[in-house]
Amino acid sequence: MHEIIEKALKESRFKPVESDHQATGLHCHIHIEPVDMEGFVFCMRDHGFFLELITAIDLIEENEIEGLYVFNHYQGPARIAARIKTARDNPVLPSIGSIYPGAVWHERETAEFFGITFEGSMDTRHLLLPEDFAFHPLRKNFKAI
Amino acid sequence: MTTNPATTIRHSLEPIGDESFILNLGPQHPGTHGVLRIIVKMDGEYVLDADPVLGYGHRMQEKIAENMTYSQMLPYMARMDYLAALSYNQAWVCAVEKLCEYEVPDRAEYIRIITVELNRISSHLLWYGAFLLDLGAFTPFLQAFADREKILDLLESVTGSRLTYCYYRFGGVFQDITDSFLCNVMDYIKYLRERLPSYHDLVSGNVIFQHRTSGIGAITCSDAAEYGVTGPILRGTGISYDVRRNEPYSIYQRFHFEVPTGETGGCQARYTVRMQEIEQSLNIIEQAVTTIPDGPIKSKVPKIIKAPEGEVAMAVETPRGELVVYIVSRGGKTPYRVKFRVPSFSNLSIFQKLARGKLLQDVLGILGSLDLVIPEIDR
Repeated sequence: MHEIIEKALKESRFKPVESDHQATGLHCHIHIEPVDMEGFVFCMRDHGFFLELITAIDLIEENEIEGLYVFNHYQGPARIAARIKTARDNPVLPSIGSIYPGAVWHERETAEFFGITFEGSMDTRHLLLPEDFAFHPLRKNFKAI
Repeated sequence: MTTNPATTIRHSLEPIGDESFILNLGPQHPGTHGVLRIIVKMDGEYVLDADPVLGYGHRMQEKIAENMTYSQMLPYMARMDYLAALSYNQAWVCAVEKLCEYEVPDRAEYIRIITVELNRISSHLLWYGAFLLDLGAFTPFLQAFADREKILDLLESVTGSRLTYCYYRFGGVFQDITDSFLCNVMDYIKYLRERLPSYHDLVSGNVIFQHRTSGIGAITCSDAAEYGVTGPILRGTGISYDVRRNEPYSIYQRFHFEVPTGETGGCQARYTVRMQEIEQSLNIIEQAVTTIPDGPIKSKVPKIIKAPEGEVAMAVETPRGELVVYIVSRGGKTPYRVKFRVPSFSNLSIFQKLARGKLLQDVLGILGSLDLVIPEIDR
């Protein structure tokens, strides 16, 4: 694992699962409970990580949606994938827009694509889809024509 | 006593707080690139707030990718960023090669480097022309387009298309390049090196250009991290982050090149960084052309790819910044989930912050300096 990540997570309670960077492009995965997210994101920001992407994966068989937050470092590569699971019927993920302002657009996109509510989000308007579009196209039960 | 009318006329452009109005920039305003609409709240000549409205070119590329085989998706990649189609080609083939552990022959890697760097120069040249057009200068646009056209001709001779290339294949490239192509590339390197001083004579030292760009639209290092800014905009702030150097893919570690950085993080720094990047790309191409080995251009790869289970994140440096293709595979012919982390998306998200409190003409300059390609944001 990259030393930047080790340094950042050394004093925190988050336990990363190592990943082979050469083979996958990711240094580690971290499974996070929603209540711990704020502390984790502050840890990322304080150690100079930048937000690479926010998205979700629809795990239809498990009836869950997994939120995926990927951070990287300008002195890296030091790519961390933070993952939070939420119920598929009423998916709620914590918003990190107040810590990383750039996250607001990523959250707006993920919210409209998957029908996820980002708790504490300052901006809940649609970003890419039309204002009146009531479907969530990246859910697996939304069939392409 | 009557008031002198001359004293009641306001000459200053300072906002006085009673003239705020909404101005709609776009969807197809000539000052914007692609179909980008910006709702601007103005007070006189000053921008109070600027809210980009996206999605006019939205095609749900990520859903398309989930419903296609890996090779069917390849031509779609070029449609996301039509100015750097080969970078997108490369990101997709490299991601799948990483997922399936395919080998790429040396000659194919060299061909990829030569063509993708030519594509980078053509993208930067187009930006140069369009940016200066935004600032009100017309001649540089014609000059840059004439030189860019020569690259398009070169790339057309090997790829068969002018902009939306689909040239790379899993495990190699579509067809081999000829020696005459390599000669033409060497001629072009010599030609552009001779031309570049005239770019600087025309623009870089120009007083109007200096006034329009210096100190405008500055980004700090912490702003950049908070918004996930990458590419020349990031390097303009002095952070030397280039995926080709930080996380070398393909065979970039074999070439000597510098990662140009600026200091002020403003429009002028971005200009300088991009102009130096053109020179660095020329250096990379020159090294690749002189050292390209003979050999096969494609390894043996099944016609229909069945990827193993797994997740890969493949980052490449496009002319606009870091592109990440994130594939979640559950085995089979189609990916389970694909995410495209596109550079312009994050680079535009900082625009609102940059625009607040600036003069409208400066805001248009900032917008031009961001080098946006809207279809890649909308996807």
